[in-house]
Amino acid sequence: MIQKKRRVVISGVGVISPLGLSRDEFWTNLMARKSGVAGITLFDTAGFPTRIAAEVKGFDPLKYIEKKKSLKVMIRDMQFAVAAAREAAGDAGLGNARFDPERLGVVFGASMISTDPCELAPAIAQSRGEDGQFDLTKFGVEGIPKLFPLWLLKQLPNMLASHVAIMYNAQGPSNTITSGCSSSAHAIGEAFRIISRGGADLIITGGASSCITPLKLIRYHRLGVLSKRNDAPEKASRPFDAGRDGFVIGEGAGMLILEEREHARARGARVYAEITGYGSAVDMQSGPGGSIEPSSKARAMRAAIADSGTPAGEIDYISAHGNSIPFTDRLETMAIKEVWGPRAYEIPVSSIKGQIGDLGPASGAMGLISIALALGRGSIPCTYNYETKDPECDLDYVPRPREAAIRCAVCNSFDFMGQNVSLVLRNAESD
Amino acid sequence: MSGQRRVVITGIGLVTPLGIGIEQNWDSLVNGRSGISRLTHFNASGFPTRIAGQVKGFNARRMLGPRDDIDCLGAHSRFSLAAARLAHEDSGLGGCALKPERVGVYLGCGEGDPSFLWLARRISESLDADGGVFIPRFLSRGMEMLNPRKDIEYEPNKPVYHISNLFNAHGPNSNCLTACAASAQALGEAACTIVRGDAEVMFAGGAHSMIHPMGLAGFSLLNAISTRNDEPEKASRPFDQKRDGFVLSEGAGVLILEEESHAAHRGARIYGELLGYGCSSDAYRITDIHPDGRGAAQAMQNALNDARISPPQVGYINAHGTSTQINDRVETLAIKKVFGEHSRAVLISSTKSIMGHLIAAAGAVEAAVCLLAIGRGIIPPTINQEHPDPDCDLDYVPNKAREAKVDIALSNSFGFGGQNICLILSRYRG
Repeated sequence: MIQKKRRVVISGVGVISPLGLSRDEFWTNLMARKSGVAGITLFDTAGFPTRIAAEVKGFDPLKYIEKKKSLKVMIRDMQFAVAAAREAAGDAGLGNARFDPERLGVVFGASMISTDPCELAPAIAQSRGEDGQFDLTKFGVEGIPKLFPLWLLKQLPNMLASHVAIMYNAQGPSNTITSGCSSSAHAIGEAFRIISRGGADLIITGGASSCITPLKLIRYHRLGVLSKRNDAPEKASRPFDAGRDGFVIGEGAGMLILEEREHARARGARVYAEITGYGSAVDMQSGPGGSIEPSSKARAMRAAIADSGTPAGEIDYISAHGNSIPFTDRLETMAIKEVWGPRAYEIPVSSIKGQIGDLGPASGAMGLISIALALGRGSIPCTYNYETKDPECDLDYVPRPREAAIRCAVCNSFDFMGQNVSLVLRNAESD
Repeated sequence: MSGQRRVVITGIGLVTPLGIGIEQNWDSLVNGRSGISRLTHFNASGFPTRIAGQVKGFNARRMLGPRDDIDCLGAHSRFSLAAARLAHEDSGLGGCALKPERVGVYLGCGEGDPSFLWLARRISESLDADGGVFIPRFLSRGMEMLNPRKDIEYEPNKPVYHISNLFNAHGPNSNCLTACAASAQALGEAACTIVRGDAEVMFAGGAHSMIHPMGLAGFSLLNAISTRNDEPEKASRPFDQKRDGFVLSEGAGVLILEEESHAAHRGARIYGELLGYGCSSDAYRITDIHPDGRGAAQAMQNALNDARISPPQVGYINAHGTSTQINDRVETLAIKKVFGEHSRAVLISSTKSIMGHLIAAAGAVEAAVCLLAIGRGIIPPTINQEHPDPDCDLDYVPNKAREAKVDIALSNSFGFGGQNICLILSRYRG
């Protein structure tokens, strides 16, 4: 098997987020300390203990998707993916660039897509027996024909990548990572590996997710990990703060164009940053309420830093996973201290989830994009709602946005089910 | 490339409709004994398709030993944990002092058991007068009735977590889900992880069961699965003119990939080498494969290039061969495109004719079949070849296994949505 070692840069960025529908809107609102969290409007949550989320507002899919017909097979996650990929591709100038379509790949992080109860309803209504109960035999005979023929295609996580590959005639490697909340960080890491080893020159990568659904709300509520601060939605997501009570579900997409460094240089592409390291590790004991040791998260960070060849002392910023769940923020803090020792107190650590909530499979991409933008602009976003110190979370969590010269930064993305990913970005100006 | 790290396979774990472990599977494969039968996992009597390739005689407690989460685990976790244990035992790594950081897990697993009945009942309870769902009612009933511990086990990355914990694997990990290409892709990416130097040993493969009401309904709606309900054993008939769709199967294939010198040094039994990995994307339509086999051919060509071999060196192709009209015709076309004249000489078979389509798990199981064929000098047949299709006119090793000395085999896996993966496996030469 052939393996090269090439350098990889970010040459395009696209964002659909609770803070806006473009890279610039996202960044401006992020730095202006706006919150994307509000009451849920996508469905009626009356009576449910959690009624808040970070929704994408004002999104019109027809602005991004020319064929109205394709919308029928694109659920919201896919629409976000297509829209953000479009911005990223435009930003990188892919439209004008000349390249072999076999050298353009697509690698996304996605989740299993929640079945929409409303879409199943007509088939279920048709499948009730004489006793009024759901009858599987009847469903087979009379229910199935009531379903949309391409129904399955709306459930498959790899369809996000399929849609985007078709749009950009990307005939190179295609992969879809389904590792829960760490999916898009994993995907970006995998895309980095593919370009590095010579498998492609350009990859559209990132993640998209729309987890604000009745089923996900039920699940997270029963796991006891959702914030219930319904009366003050903007205050609900408060990573590392002593008063945090759980996470806020967010939705959106973060897409990046990764490109082989010389390829980008040759065509004069603008470079945001170089991606230099990727590490992953599984929690050795996990589960909500279970005892977890922070070492596996530390291992992911160490592996990414070692991979990048950067001394840990040159990491000037950490974009934390920090999702405002009491125990995960504590564990991440412990893991950072395990890696850096006393220097941990000198590194600014912030979580953008205070403003945009947890975008699940898309969250890692959002964190990485915020670093890429921070590097170019010389300022870092804050941890919104960080007000009261938790004795167990005692690092510098950046309560207000601040200017900072960053050489290298780490992006953390930890899945709730136990998969941890860290990525290292390097300031492209620094060489 | 000299000095480059190589990847060999030192352990195989199989859980399929043909049996548990290598020997049960091999025996059915070489004898062409079908694993397809009437579907019994749930009451499918009203469904258009009522047959499947179910894993039989699988006792989770016996296969996995005592675990307090055994009743919550999804089929993907149960099957993959069993396959990983078999592969690990087979590899003899048990007595080997390995640094946990040098052992990783890369799987291509599908979802666990989606509780369709649970969902259907909650929807049914929440229907309003106009036939819509009254969501507040759905939310409150769902909240009362959900078992969250079981619900999270549905996630496709759960097997990675469980296997990493069982074998104390602290190294790199991932789970990809590229439909029917997933576990082949996982093998390819796991091999790259070793070549790059990030691990010495990788658990790689996948597990999946879509034999659930949603999977069966979804594939029925797409007209993708066979409805030959009265002759289950004849339903999967790749390349035969009377093929009418694939047969939904379930199971797991987990392989132990190991850095070559590490395996040689400890005197491991080596099944073969993973010599090449090629991927491509059709970028054509979400519902159809490219009619010229553009993506399929490109994946094969990329794998040949990666392995630095030429087509005549390939002795056996384990085809994707799903038994759908379009796949088998286009795959034949793609093989001709890449192999030219040699396409008439190379032996091709689709073992899906015997075990059905394991979806995300298919690629890993079929890569294992290639390694066994190389090692044992026998090519498993494509069964149910009765009516030749003029568009499918290559040597598919019809109906009877054939003795043949093969040094290099190629395995195709094409995912719904256009992801194409090709792996090249070879006899191990020191």
